Amino acid sequence: MIGRISPQALVVPLLLLIALTVGAVVNERFLTLGNLRNFTEQLAALGFVSLGQAFVILGGGIDLSIGAIASLAAVLLAGLHGGNEALFIPSLLLVLAGGAAVGAMNGWLTVWLRVHPLIVTLGMASVLSGITLLYAPQPRGSVPFWFEGFAFDSLAGVPLSGLLLGALFLITALVLTRTPFGRRVYAVGGNAEAARLSGLSVKPTIITTYALSGFFAALAGAYYVSRTGVGDPHAGDALTLASLTPVIVGGILLGGGRGGLGGVFLGVLLISLLNNLLNYMNLSTFVQWWCKGW
Amino acid sequence: MIELKAICKSFPGVKSLDQVNFSASAGEIHALLGENGAGKSTLIKVLAGAYTPESGTITLGGVPRIWAAPKQAQQAGIHVIYQELVLFPDLSVAENIFIGHAPRTRWGLIDRKAMIQKTEVALSQLGHRLDPRARVGDLSVADQQMVEIAKALSHDVKLLVLDEPTAVISGKEVVALFERLRRLRDRGVCIIYISHRLEEIFALADRITILKDGKNVRAGTVAEFDRASLVTAMVGRPLADLYPPRPAQTKTAPIVLAACNIHLPPRVRGVDVNVRAGEIVGLAGMVGSGRTELAHAIFGSMARTKGRVTLEGEEVPPGNPRLSIQRGIGFLTEDRKAEGLLAQLPVYANITAPNLTAYTRLGFLRRPQEVALAARDIERFRIAVPGPTSGVWHLSGGNQQKILLSRWMAIKPKLLVLDEPTRGVDVGAKAEIYRLIRALAAEGVAVLLISSELPEVIGLCDRVLVMKEGRLMGELQAEALSEESIMTLATADAPAQGEAA
Repeated sequence: MIGRISPQALVVPLLLLIALTVGAVVNERFLTLGNLRNFTEQLAALGFVSLGQAFVILGGGIDLSIGAIASLAAVLLAGLHGGNEALFIPSLLLVLAGGAAVGAMNGWLTVWLRVHPLIVTLGMASVLSGITLLYAPQPRGSVPFWFEGFAFDSLAGVPLSGLLLGALFLITALVLTRTPFGRRVYAVGGNAEAARLSGLSVKPTIITTYALSGFFAALAGAYYVSRTGVGDPHAGDALTLASLTPVIVGGILLGGGRGGLGGVFLGVLLISLLNNLLNYMNLSTFVQWWCKGW
Repeated sequence: MIELKAICKSFPGVKSLDQVNFSASAGEIHALLGENGAGKSTLIKVLAGAYTPESGTITLGGVPRIWAAPKQAQQAGIHVIYQELVLFPDLSVAENIFIGHAPRTRWGLIDRKAMIQKTEVALSQLGHRLDPRARVGDLSVADQQMVEIAKALSHDVKLLVLDEPTAVISGKEVVALFERLRRLRDRGVCIIYISHRLEEIFALADRITILKDGKNVRAGTVAEFDRASLVTAMVGRPLADLYPPRPAQTKTAPIVLAACNIHLPPRVRGVDVNVRAGEIVGLAGMVGSGRTELAHAIFGSMARTKGRVTLEGEEVPPGNPRLSIQRGIGFLTEDRKAEGLLAQLPVYANITAPNLTAYTRLGFLRRPQEVALAARDIERFRIAVPGPTSGVWHLSGGNQQKILLSRWMAIKPKLLVLDEPTRGVDVGAKAEIYRLIRALAAEGVAVLLISSELPEVIGLCDRVLVMKEGRLMGELQAEALSEESIMTLATADAPAQGEAA
């Protein structure tokens, strides 16, 4: 919350720089505009879910149902309208609202049952995955052609998804640092009891962070659909753990209450860049996993 | 027995210890005094090997020593008991005492029988009765302290350091602790005792060393000091009067807080409290008598099961701190780290937390206004922090407490409930906090003050209510206040009927 440059804060930008340099050396196409676009397109889903996870973790929780929400959102979005394009926009809104509702349910369960969020959200993930696979054992559905623009169109050379992500990051940063809700998130994440005794509403704040996380997860699901044109029941599988990495690399305290979005943004860039770079280096997927682990 | 000479220790930006000398001999209780930040803790950590000094020598039993690690100091017989006890709540008393050096059987297994027997020996040396098989988490804090001391004894302790041991216990437990410490002293153990409570020093200590700003100020036998000279040496200036004068009482001021028949089982069982505007009403009683729970029930942070609270005639609903704050109740909690400070947030956010709507316009926080308020309070209350945007966690207890007081003053309260407002706060800051409380009352705020420090209750309050086992035992007017009159009520058998408010 306090703007101070610490040595740790410099590590991530430095790593970014190193990754860029290595990329430029390894492959001449790495620093081209084409790859930049490609890179931004890959960035979006990870960016969305990291935003949601950042809210939850700052508020003192953790959300492990992000991937499952994204997958369910993907299959529902591609399947619900049944080919009738007129129904697509309503189903898009429904899916996004549903994501927020499932998130709110996560929050409500942690708050009222006082069960650790790890257990609540893992349980929720399991339930949702079950529903997803019942509805769509394999990829199904389709999207209107225009919706693929969400992933592939660009404005003045910048992909739409990148623009949206940037805007959402700015709005979220503003909400966290400049609104009473943001202040409550930090206060509750830092010390919920002290926050309660200061008259801050703790439970609604926690529920809202999970709802936001659910919303962002559904948005990531929608983005996948727009990229692939189909609802893949495994679309979000990797997202849950992926959403944690930038948040932690970005310096948000896992216990809650401390850290800023700037770090998360750099974290998202770094992780995506690393993915992109490893692709260019023609390494197998498994070696890529190994590298990311480092 | 132990002698530290010309110890220097610096941290970035601060010279924490500057040529400090300290010596204590076997069989004495030596009080180490000083305000927060005077360097007491640093000196103890140097003594116990947790810090390495830049210069200076440590001599133990005539042999110069250099500690490379705390373990070495411990093996040499130095044992420190910190305020936060380091026990394992799920293990038994005996297991805690012999953790890491349990007696073994021939087969290398832990010899439970021998361990329990040795525990009984250690406890009987202390003169304390405790079941060695009891789970430590089930014991009272006072008993846990005894387990810590017994643990030290099991290590053949020569030098025992206690850091504010009475901050967490009260009444009879303090008496018992002192009795046990004297017994240890008579067996030749050197005890270094740190406390902010001057009465205890006079009751317990043989010699005194006073630090201020990392330097030696005075040292001598306890007979060379009286209360005033002790305070003067610690604070560096005479403390004309610790307590501000009481104003001429207006017993006719309107009643602000009327709490009727408050029940919060099992701790509060039918209590009535009235506080008038401008009045400071003390709530005395043993720890566990239900004072803190009564405060929570009035504030609404614990939901009362029965009873009515009104503030200037307006109903205060049960169990909703936010609404209570809106009505004008402030509550300074007992445990400022767990229940008060928002440790990760800067000073200004800590002050404006209960009052965010006042600093919001069009949905956005007005940070410049928040910072300005904090800057004003930092100056007004003389809070020693770098600035309104700096953190609060590393501040001394007194400064943290002033920030929390500033938080509650900012809501312009009608009633302020203060639970142990000077716990762990040094003498100089105490006097300032007393002055702030009195000034607030002079502005017409009703103050309900909970304190275990009787001199504080006697010095500051206009009227005192005494609680025992969840009931009001009686009421004392300012003229009738003395340690005896309060203790008599606090330990009486039945409520003194008719005297209760």
